[in-house]
Amino acid sequence: MAVSVRSWVANEGGKHLVLMLWLGANTWLFLRTYLLYSTGQQYHYLYKMLGLGLCISRASASVLNLNCCLVLLPMCRSLLTFIRGTHTVSSRKTRRLLDKSKSFHVACGVAICLFSAVHVSAHLVNVVNFSLSYSDDFPALNLARYRGEVRLPNVSNHDHPVRSASVLFPGVTGVLLVLILLLMFISSSYCIRVSNYEIFWYTHNLFIVFYTILMVHMVGGALKYQTNLKAHPPGCLRTNQSNSKLQDEDLVQAEDDDIRCREDAHFEPHYPQTWLWVSGPLCLYCVERLYRYIRSSDPVTIVTAIRHPCNVVELRMLKKDFKARPGQYIVLNCPGVSSFENHPFTLTKCPTANKETFGIHLRVVGDWTDRFTQLLLPPPRADMEILPMVQQRRYPNDGWRGFRLQRLYFVWVCKEIQSFYWFAELLCALHKKLWQENRPDYFNLKLYVSCTESLQRMSEERYRPLSSRLLVGRPKWKMILDEIGKSNKKRVGVFCCGPKSISKTLHRLCNSTRSSGTVFEFNKESFS
Amino acid sequence: MGKIEWAMWANEQALASGLILLAGGIVGVAGQFRGWEFAAYAVAAGVFVCLLEYPRSKRAKGTSVERSGQYCFTVCVKAFGPLTRNYYVRAFLHAAICVPGGFMLATVLGCVCLGIASLIYLAAAIRGEHWEPILPRKDVRKPVAESIKNPPQNPPPRPPPETRRKQAKDLEGAAYDNPSSVTDD
Repeated sequence: MAVSVRSWVANEGGKHLVLMLWLGANTWLFLRTYLLYSTGQQYHYLYKMLGLGLCISRASASVLNLNCCLVLLPMCRSLLTFIRGTHTVSSRKTRRLLDKSKSFHVACGVAICLFSAVHVSAHLVNVVNFSLSYSDDFPALNLARYRGEVRLPNVSNHDHPVRSASVLFPGVTGVLLVLILLLMFISSSYCIRVSNYEIFWYTHNLFIVFYTILMVHMVGGALKYQTNLKAHPPGCLRTNQSNSKLQDEDLVQAEDDDIRCREDAHFEPHYPQTWLWVSGPLCLYCVERLYRYIRSSDPVTIVTAIRHPCNVVELRMLKKDFKARPGQYIVLNCPGVSSFENHPFTLTKCPTANKETFGIHLRVVGDWTDRFTQLLLPPPRADMEILPMVQQRRYPNDGWRGFRLQRLYFVWVCKEIQSFYWFAELLCALHKKLWQENRPDYFNLKLYVSCTESLQRMSEERYRPLSSRLLVGRPKWKMILDEIGKSNKKRVGVFCCGPKSISKTLHRLCNSTRSSGTVFEFNKESFS
Repeated sequence: MGKIEWAMWANEQALASGLILLAGGIVGVAGQFRGWEFAAYAVAAGVFVCLLEYPRSKRAKGTSVERSGQYCFTVCVKAFGPLTRNYYVRAFLHAAICVPGGFMLATVLGCVCLGIASLIYLAAAIRGEHWEPILPRKDVRKPVAESIKNPPQNPPPRPPPETRRKQAKDLEGAAYDNPSSVTDD
């Protein structure tokens, strides 16, 4: 399928622009630090000792600083929701970009892992070079105690306790950092997130340990810079110093520089700079988590719980000062089931000015939802009172204005026909209301039953609008999009919530050429 | 935390540790550092761990997604029977393999990661999990009904079944008049 440039730019353009900017920032930072260490006067002697390893380790460290700073920002979800909702961000393009914040977080995370590997390798090379190029001229610069020494983290140093601490501390913290990073990275793979989300969540919360150690990683720095550049320009040597490696030209040069070479070179270790980069976003993220916690401390009242076919429970709740808009999701925590687990659910009913209850539909799949529904709806017994069920037939009338939507196509694929009963009332009520308002083409419904084994029917008369729009088998997305494209020449927004295979197919179709020339903007929602 | 499958996490961790051990071993051997024999061992150990851990186990509940091309590895690992099925064996095996890696700086990271994987496998074994091979499912097709072999002999409108049965034996007796006209009069 040919990719249409217009559609591709509409769907992928913003994302790739941000990616290019981010790559550009990383490259610029890497090159700038590299050149600083390879050509900077204050690192002249250190560079002579260590060579390329110095430049690469420091350059990758600065890139790591940048990415550790950026990786936290996409996770400030309340802040992003706030920015997304304000009128300052009124462009749809920016809102769609903000929706992709998780991908940016993953990109920064991968960059952190890659550059950590580069950083560790470069420092291992530095350790070797420190011992091979032991400098007799500048003893303060050395890390090794003598030429040819091989330093290992478990070698104890009784002669120079200060120097050994300066080597051990960054080394030990470095190993710990890489270990935590590996634990976080390995448990964040797709299959673990999908199967056991708790493992991913609890290991990922080790980030706070990671950042704490990161901020003290450079204490007792092994890499030093020269402080007295004016008094001792690098490259000058004192007359009473004999160095058999000097060439004739250098000797002449040294005699010329004699006048300016007044003192020995002084070296100072760097102060840790990571905290400058990292403390801002870390504080912001901690404030965000605190805000979420404070907001969640207000109790929520459950108004009704309705059991639907195919293991689905509809929950209606009330909370003071709760505002939400269609398309947003909430995160539920039930201390009676588990104190630490938080589960996201898309809102199926938002609070309006007239009616403040909001609702979700949850499907009983894992152990949390199972236990939660057992607490909510004990198994029915003949002598027990059933929870009151309030039929909400009024909500299609509330909050109807203010949307720029001109037409809605709703394609719903379910395995069993019973699943359509979850929203049967709402769909039929909507259909009836639009019919009475003489706008029957506003809402186009297509229901698909993907399980073709047995013949299934919706026999109730009041659900006739649904049963007449029911098709058996999986939808042919290309034909549906072609049909929609022919009838609607303007931009069409596609919102997909479902398994990855459907999402991939739709994404590909949205990017490809359409005979009608309509641009399809692809959006998707997934929680894993 | 009730129904976590620790084995899946242990498998990912062990596979990654094998790769890290391999990488550290290669660096150690290539640089000819002191103690490079440990690095050479780490290369072999890393390859072994990767081969052992590559085939994913079947999940107790839910769909299992296998790694690409893992079928031949599954068959090999399955051949060892209870040695590879039991996670206690794997836990102690990984704990034993990881120890020599700790004697050299280049391989110490792989050693620690494999040690962590060994602990997670121990947790999985205590919970009673075991390794199940993911084998391709043989779909049993429904047996085809006999009537598919005998399609109708004559075009519609077809007479009712009784007449059809008579038709098979006796052509004259099976003749009948259609209740409604089949021509365009």
